Amino acid sequence: MGKGAPRISNDIRALRFARGEMTQQELADRIGVTRQTVNAIEGNKYSPSLEVAFRIARVLDLPLEEVFQYEEN
Amino acid sequence: MDLTFEEKSLWVLFLGLLGVYGYYFSMVLPTDAVNVMPQHKVLFAVAVAYLVASQVVGHILIAIVDPRDETDERDRLIELKGTRVGSWVLAAGVFITLVVAVQTEGNFLFTHVLLGSWVLSQLVEIGSQLYLYRRGA
Repeated sequence: MGKGAPRISNDIRALRFARGEMTQQELADRIGVTRQTVNAIEGNKYSPSLEVAFRIARVLDLPLEEVFQYEEN
Repeated sequence: MDLTFEEKSLWVLFLGLLGVYGYYFSMVLPTDAVNVMPQHKVLFAVAVAYLVASQVVGHILIAIVDPRDETDERDRLIELKGTRVGSWVLAAGVFITLVVAVQTEGNFLFTHVLLGSWVLSQLVEIGSQLYLYRRGA
């Protein structure tokens, strides 16, 4: 997590804007993390737990694999 | 910088420890004392009081600036990683303290090696947490 090339990437930033320009704080409040954690996830600096990943996908109303991508190194 | 409540709290603790115990050790060391003297005990009590006061004031100021006192899974992960790093420093310090206790006369040196080890382990623990916050996790 957070070291070297990211293996799990995501499109949360773009998907937030596609959902009525949802702010990081709004997403953070809905999934129960801090805004800084949302920022770290969007920047591929932090890979969230499965629970938080599912919550994000649910808030964005998308399947998990459309929000997060796993890249084999 | 964009800091969480936890990160601000860690900075207050880090600076408090560094300032208070930096001052304490600069006043106590170097010395020829073999045993802990009454003036050392007074200075230590004052240092602890200053540390507590600095934390109370610092956290009140943080709460005024940032009322969102929230923690999440990333905070807990960073805390665990920092605690692991700090525990290695503390374990090494305890071992060095045992050697000092066996090899030296009186209680001054081993007491202060032990205190120094604890302060250093805390600084390393908090410093590594602050680094992890900047890196992401």
